[in-house]
Amino acid sequence: MSPATPGPVPRLMAWIEERTGLSVLGELARKKRVPRHRHTFWYYLGGMTLFLFGIQVGTGILLLLYYRPSASEAFESVQFIMTRVPFGWLIRSIHSWSANLLVLAAFVHMFSVFFLKAYRKPRELTWLSGALLLFLMLAFGFSGYLLPWNTLAFFATQVGTQVAGAVPLVGPFMLRLLRGGDQVTGGTLTRFYGMHVAVLPALATVLVGAHLLLVQKHGMSVPPAVEKRRSESGGAPLSMPFFPNFLLRDLIGWVAALGILAALAALFPWELGTKADPFAPAPAGIRPEWYFAWMFQTLKLLPSHILGLEGEMLGVLGFGAGALMLLLVPFLDRAGEAPGRWDRLLLACGWAVVAFMAVMTLIVYLPAEG
Amino acid sequence: MRNSRLLLRSAPGWWLLLAVPAVVLLALLGAVHAAAAEPQHLAPGGPRPLETSCVSCHAQLDDALLEPTRHTGDDIHFLKGLSCHDCHGGNPAAGADGDPEAAHDRKLGWTGKPVRGQVPAFCARCHADAAFMKRFNPHTRIDQYSEYRTSVHGRRNAEGDERAAVCVDCHGVHSIRAVSDPRSPVYPTRVAETCGTCHADENRMRHYSLATTQYAEYRKSVHARALYEGGDTSAPTCNDCHGSHGAVPPGVENVAAVCGSCHGREATLFRETEAKLKLDLTPCIQCMVCHGNHAVSPPTDGMVGVGADSTCTGCHVEEDKGYKAAVRMADSIHGLVERLREASDRLDLAERAGVEVGPDRFALQEARDQLVEARVLVHSFDLERFLIAAQKGIAAADAGVAAGKRAAAELRTRRAGLGLSLVIIVAVIIALALKVREVDRKPAT
Amino acid sequence: MSDPGSAPSRRGFLGWFLGTSVGAMCASILYPVARYISPPEVPEAQTSRVVAGKVGELKPNEGKIFRFGNLPGLLIRTEDGGYRAVSATCTHLNCTVQFRGDLKQIRCACHNGYYDLTGKNVSGPPPRPLDQFQVNVAGDDIVVSKT
Repeated sequence: MSPATPGPVPRLMAWIEERTGLSVLGELARKKRVPRHRHTFWYYLGGMTLFLFGIQVGTGILLLLYYRPSASEAFESVQFIMTRVPFGWLIRSIHSWSANLLVLAAFVHMFSVFFLKAYRKPRELTWLSGALLLFLMLAFGFSGYLLPWNTLAFFATQVGTQVAGAVPLVGPFMLRLLRGGDQVTGGTLTRFYGMHVAVLPALATVLVGAHLLLVQKHGMSVPPAVEKRRSESGGAPLSMPFFPNFLLRDLIGWVAALGILAALAALFPWELGTKADPFAPAPAGIRPEWYFAWMFQTLKLLPSHILGLEGEMLGVLGFGAGALMLLLVPFLDRAGEAPGRWDRLLLACGWAVVAFMAVMTLIVYLPAEG
Repeated sequence: MRNSRLLLRSAPGWWLLLAVPAVVLLALLGAVHAAAAEPQHLAPGGPRPLETSCVSCHAQLDDALLEPTRHTGDDIHFLKGLSCHDCHGGNPAAGADGDPEAAHDRKLGWTGKPVRGQVPAFCARCHADAAFMKRFNPHTRIDQYSEYRTSVHGRRNAEGDERAAVCVDCHGVHSIRAVSDPRSPVYPTRVAETCGTCHADENRMRHYSLATTQYAEYRKSVHARALYEGGDTSAPTCNDCHGSHGAVPPGVENVAAVCGSCHGREATLFRETEAKLKLDLTPCIQCMVCHGNHAVSPPTDGMVGVGADSTCTGCHVEEDKGYKAAVRMADSIHGLVERLREASDRLDLAERAGVEVGPDRFALQEARDQLVEARVLVHSFDLERFLIAAQKGIAAADAGVAAGKRAAAELRTRRAGLGLSLVIIVAVIIALALKVREVDRKPAT
Repeated sequence: MSDPGSAPSRRGFLGWFLGTSVGAMCASILYPVARYISPPEVPEAQTSRVVAGKVGELKPNEGKIFRFGNLPGLLIRTEDGGYRAVSATCTHLNCTVQFRGDLKQIRCACHNGYYDLTGKNVSGPPPRPLDQFQVNVAGDDIVVSKT
């Protein structure tokens, strides 16, 4: 616009800016600030989850080049990727490892947000979209686990879908819907594949977009305890610019994660196991992915009948209720009305859930070593 | 006699067994033949046997007279449309008219219970009659009775020994089932037990001065394991080596032929060497000298050579030619086994670490096949022939070891690549950390 | 640090260091990816079909073992020049069977089991026939596929 600066790049930028007004974004990024206090560390977990999700998208697309979603070819094509495609072992192992780290990061992110009470008004919808994203990530994990069509995944899927069948009323229908029939077959594989590479990514794109937009809109939440202390001491709130100070720190974490992923993939390549044989007896020690292990163990420990109702059904209903509670957390926290008691109760519930999940997971993994 | 023995041995045992109930059937039918006017209903499709007055009257009697009517549903003769009087004679029509005396009229061919010693002849009336048996099954055999006559059981029976086994001792009396029926006492998994009821009974065998340990020994054998644990009904049980109806102990000269009916390569090699050396090895090296008979155990590599488990040193003495050959054979086999294990371990290791070794593993199969071949070739007692296979196997196993080493090298390359990229990543992290320090120092605007 | 004169050169070094290391990192990411997406030696996973041999490799009345997945297969050229292929794993105790040209049969040496050229068990302990494969000749290749 100024006649004195006719460089080709600025001209192009100006041309684009005139038509899109994208500089608003840059402006936003420049203005955005991240609060600094002793809990700032937890702010990085959302970014970490996003980064790992990006890795999943990238490696997932690469795997699609060679993967074939059918019972007769799925295992062989993954074997082909692992053995014949240059660096195929690396791509697949990173995809598998990253999936696990992603779920881990998402859980830690969720709990940190919970305990720092970052879901309070006006961030209820941010929490809601985040919780839905967590469920999506679990669905990604569950559907992706079956795709290599190996024995372990086959039977884990059989057990996992069986659990869906225990839901009252709609259970049998859901079981058939998930499996694409009464049994886990090649049809189930195709179904899970479609979910894993089309349905879930589409949903995830929308939800991630919404989640980020909301985070951007409301900025980072400062925990009430920190806020309180600061207002008592009367100091000015500390903060740092998002760009570049916070983003550079984010980047350090991401690069470190990349290094960890590379090391895990090279030193502990994800095993493929043996091809699934629907007619073979179930092998000993079938076990779902670790992040489902606590649910698996809970269902196992429940007595077969509780008060005349089927134990498994009650368990599944319990998980459903738990998921609903998770979604409703912002609306359960009514700190404004009765400060103190509600707060403590909710926090205690949170810790109880963490402890329960940890103990159940440990029960699954400890005896295996003894 | 000799022909029939050979026939026995070469025929798969189950076939014989299958034919047995058919023979009994024949014999029963023959009874009617001999004793009465040929009944018109004997072809399949005649009147239903359960409707005869024999069954309806005997069903109201007690004990031994009631017992046969309990089996009308599972005895093959009944199932084929035969009834009591087809074997025992008599006139059920008279019984139906309320005249039991007339029904049991010996003049009308009623035989009652056959005398024990006469049972084989009783059954053979039908089961040795080709024309009669073929009405029921065109493939059925009718030589069981003539075979029985050649057996020790049959010869003793002919001599009037009441204790000698007759048809019913193995097949049962009124609940005779097809040999293919797993409930039959002559079904492969039950044969040994059936033979053992007499042959493992000291009281019975004392009279003949026969040992009674065979059944217990057999149950420990590799054959029994394949049959009972592996569920392989083609695995040999008593009758596969001894014959069914023509049961005799194989003579010393025939052991190799008996074993060779399944272990054909070993038997052929054995005979070839015999011919080549123009020797009769039969008396000194029959199969059982090394492998035993009823308790035959899975062969081990230790049986070859001069070690503690060696079977060679039973005859060969130190520094004779055979002794030296045994040493070399043992060395080769152990060398091959060792290399195979090493190759397999290396490939396992590489595979667990994520390197593709499928084709190498497949190539290793060649070494395994040659190991099997070499173990078989031990039975040629021909060192040169043995060494050809052993060396082929060793070469293949060496190739496997080399493949394992290549896979390990590939793994090292991966680790080196990882090391390099980790160095780069650490550098990036340091650079980013320095950059963070720099931007932090800039005052916020 | 207190020397203001060194600041620009330090900033210059940092810029260089950051640029180089990030560049190297990008290269170490892009190299595997580029190798991954460039076509591999074998273009696709061999699942239900495999090249068992070349035309002319076998004389009539000859057989050879080939690899089908992780298991052996047996390719036979019959006397009339046709091809047949069966699984080479004996159905008795999983030994590898072999073609016997002199007997025109497939034989398992372990327990003297015989199969005919269609894989049907003829004598000895094998409880069932060998699995049959389909054979097609495509150009120079003899392609065996599972039916």
